[in-house]
Amino acid sequence: MSHLVEHKPLKHRFIEWLGRFYPMAKRLLYHFHGGVFPKYHKSLSNRYPLVEDFIPELLTLPLQQHLGVATEPLVSVGDRVLKYQRIADTDKGLSAPIHAPTSGTVIAIEPRILPHPSGLPGLCILLEPDGRDEAQALTLPETPTSPQSLKTLVHEAGIVGLGGAGFPTFAKIPDQRGCIDHLIINGAECEPFITCDDQLMKQRPEAIWRGAELVAQALGIPRVLCGIEDNKTEAIKTMTQAADGLPAAAQTHTDFQVRPVATVYPMGGQEQLTQELIDLEIPSDKHAIEVGVLMMNVATLAAIADAADEGKPLISRYVTVSGMGLNAPFNAHALLGTSFKALAEKADPKTPLTYPLIKGGPMMGISMHSNEVPVIKTTNCVLANPPEDVEPAMPCIRCGECMDACPIQLLPQQLYWHSRSHEYDKVKDLKVFDCIECGCCSFVCPSHIPLVQYYRHAKSEIVRIEKEEEAAELAKQRHEFRLARLEKAEKAKKARLKAKKDAVKKQAAQTTRQSGDASAAAAKAAAAAKKAAAAKSPQTDQTTDSSAPKTAREKAIEAAKARAQKAAKKADDSPTDNPAAPEDRAQVKPADKRKAAMEAAQKRAQAQKNASADSASDKAARPAATETESKRDKRQAAMAAAQKAARKRQQSSDNASENTDQSSRVDSKIPAASPKDKRQAAMAAAKKRALKAQQKAQAQKDTQAPSPDTED
Amino acid sequence: MIEALLVFLVLALFFGMLLGYAKIKFKVEGNPVADQIDSILPQTQCGQCGFPGCRPYAEALAEGNSEVNLCVPGGHEVMIQISEITHREPKEMDASNPPPEEPMVAVIDEDICIGCVHCIKACPVDAIVGTTKMMHTVIEKECTGCELCVPVCPVDCIDMVPLMKTPQTWHWPEPNANSLENRS
Repeated sequence: MSHLVEHKPLKHRFIEWLGRFYPMAKRLLYHFHGGVFPKYHKSLSNRYPLVEDFIPELLTLPLQQHLGVATEPLVSVGDRVLKYQRIADTDKGLSAPIHAPTSGTVIAIEPRILPHPSGLPGLCILLEPDGRDEAQALTLPETPTSPQSLKTLVHEAGIVGLGGAGFPTFAKIPDQRGCIDHLIINGAECEPFITCDDQLMKQRPEAIWRGAELVAQALGIPRVLCGIEDNKTEAIKTMTQAADGLPAAAQTHTDFQVRPVATVYPMGGQEQLTQELIDLEIPSDKHAIEVGVLMMNVATLAAIADAADEGKPLISRYVTVSGMGLNAPFNAHALLGTSFKALAEKADPKTPLTYPLIKGGPMMGISMHSNEVPVIKTTNCVLANPPEDVEPAMPCIRCGECMDACPIQLLPQQLYWHSRSHEYDKVKDLKVFDCIECGCCSFVCPSHIPLVQYYRHAKSEIVRIEKEEEAAELAKQRHEFRLARLEKAEKAKKARLKAKKDAVKKQAAQTTRQSGDASAAAAKAAAAAKKAAAAKSPQTDQTTDSSAPKTAREKAIEAAKARAQKAAKKADDSPTDNPAAPEDRAQVKPADKRKAAMEAAQKRAQAQKNASADSASDKAARPAATETESKRDKRQAAMAAAQKAARKRQQSSDNASENTDQSSRVDSKIPAASPKDKRQAAMAAAKKRALKAQQKAQAQKDTQAPSPDTED
Repeated sequence: MIEALLVFLVLALFFGMLLGYAKIKFKVEGNPVADQIDSILPQTQCGQCGFPGCRPYAEALAEGNSEVNLCVPGGHEVMIQISEITHREPKEMDASNPPPEEPMVAVIDEDICIGCVHCIKACPVDAIVGTTKMMHTVIEKECTGCELCVPVCPVDCIDMVPLMKTPQTWHWPEPNANSLENRS
């Protein structure tokens, strides 16, 4: 098949010749829109042999090396681990386990700066290799024959998309056999400088094909296409030879082909390579799987072959160490966790590595915040390009070059304007999420505007806004639910109070009818009210929400209310009503006094109603009461009202700590009431101070507040 | 003459019934302006506008009883949106009370918490769990950062802290458009 490279059609050769004078003519060589032709510099790293068996002094293994959920460490600090041992995994969602790349000791599990554009630290397992490279015995898995067994195999081996996206491969594999028409092997490697896939295709073409064969067998894929850019002639040759060497049994079911493709950036993109090889454009709202295309990187397939045939999990990968700042760039079969700096130092840097290294190629790569960041599963290149003077961005001249270069036919200029003016809804309508951030637009921009930066920012802003809206919606729902709940509780409380009042009325009517003696009736009614309150409270607690148990307090309140009612009923015929007793005035604020007075008046009105509705017996009993008695009753009513007011005030200042036992006792000992109230207030204040002091909170509370109603 | 009268009578009856039907069929529930405003408010339910929640503020705005610049967490952007919806003049935000730079959440120091349930009662979105004399804690996901629980705590054990930044929640910064680029 190598004739495809050497003997190109006349048209291709003409276009290539034309491309010397007019580079954009080369766009006729491929099927997708746009694309650019950067300087490749691939020979820098390609001419040196592969560096293998490099064990650095320290391996840093981030717990998250893939898209999805971070794993959890399975080892602890000080543990000795063996090569291939699983050291981190989780079952909480989309993830891939992490295995120890070599034998050694776990010296720490702590946050380290991640190879991520944010430069934020994340939890990493720090492994100190012992140099012995002792491996754990590997168990050979069964050859996968179904999608499920392939998925299990791939997941167990911790394989993720090694091309760069890092999507866990098992999640990409469909559940059903036969829904994939094309397996596309991505060997395009379009980024300048990077040659690790090229190197892999030259070194281990059999492994790549073996992986492809396994996937094709498990999923029943009729056609496997390997797209390789035509600047990798040697890789095309080795891959073609290896494809011919595939077992005949496999070849009868599946058609394996190597397809050289034009050298253009970004040929390695999923959409672009699919379009180029099978002339199929993946719709914006669909995944490749849904249109019958499964794409895998050459390195991913080689890893699958290793996992299936040898039981080896993913612990290392091919990494290109290249860049203008290095004297001896190379490709390395590096252990995951090797630091960027260790690799770059090995390549004999021209100047000390004081500038940030880049993860990935010059087009899509991201400069790192620390050179100590480790190689992870998705790292294909460590690039050491000394910083050059960045051309300052100039105003957009609306030339439209970016539009011509965009490989997915977006409108980069519109996206730019809208992103700049923060019109994110418009940016979203212009399909910014289809942008693959390939950087072609920034590359061709004559004004050097960092267009991709704008799109990246716009994307994350849109995501943030959507998340905020979601959170606002949730907050709204919760708030509305809370309001509804409180209203319901309030209603239930009112209903309860009403029921209680009715019960008390009934009781009072009965008792007064039964006995002519007024004082006896009063005592009985009070007892009945207490009883009713006690009987009611457990029920009511169930009906209301369970925010705070307050049976004791409620009981007390009901009892006090009933007493107040009773007293008011007795005192209602006295001509001059002074709701607040003189001794209480000093401490009751005017507003509270008014409140107390109003409440007392209400109570009286109620009592009057009761009296009129009740019976004449009550009236008959009343004259029997002496002058002193009625006076006493009046004072009693005033006291109760004042107590209530005081309690209200205390509640409102969030420091309520009234003592029901005391208040019930106060009834009978009127003169002692006001000092007791004062004491109560003082206690509350003291308690507050004590709480603030934090340390003695518990002790203070125990000694000072033995009453059951301190919880509010 | 009589035909014309009849025709118009019939027409009047027909259109009258049509209008009557439309009134019942297309009746607008609630206040659409208030709904619209409510949907752009940040729903922190913080009460910093002086109303007990976002919905009451939206209703007050819809009735024209309130200023457009009272939503502190919403900041300038929400103020502009409100003034657009209500067709009123935008008003400068109160500079003395700027919105938080980054999202905050309440965190209870669980060693100090005495289990007084004050904060649970204050939380407008029920984001605090706990019970009497038991340690309380904030559900970070539900917390709107309204700070209503902070003043009611008798032992000052609630702190507002910025949300922890992780690579997952990190956002690309905006490229700073330089002066040359801005000349256009």
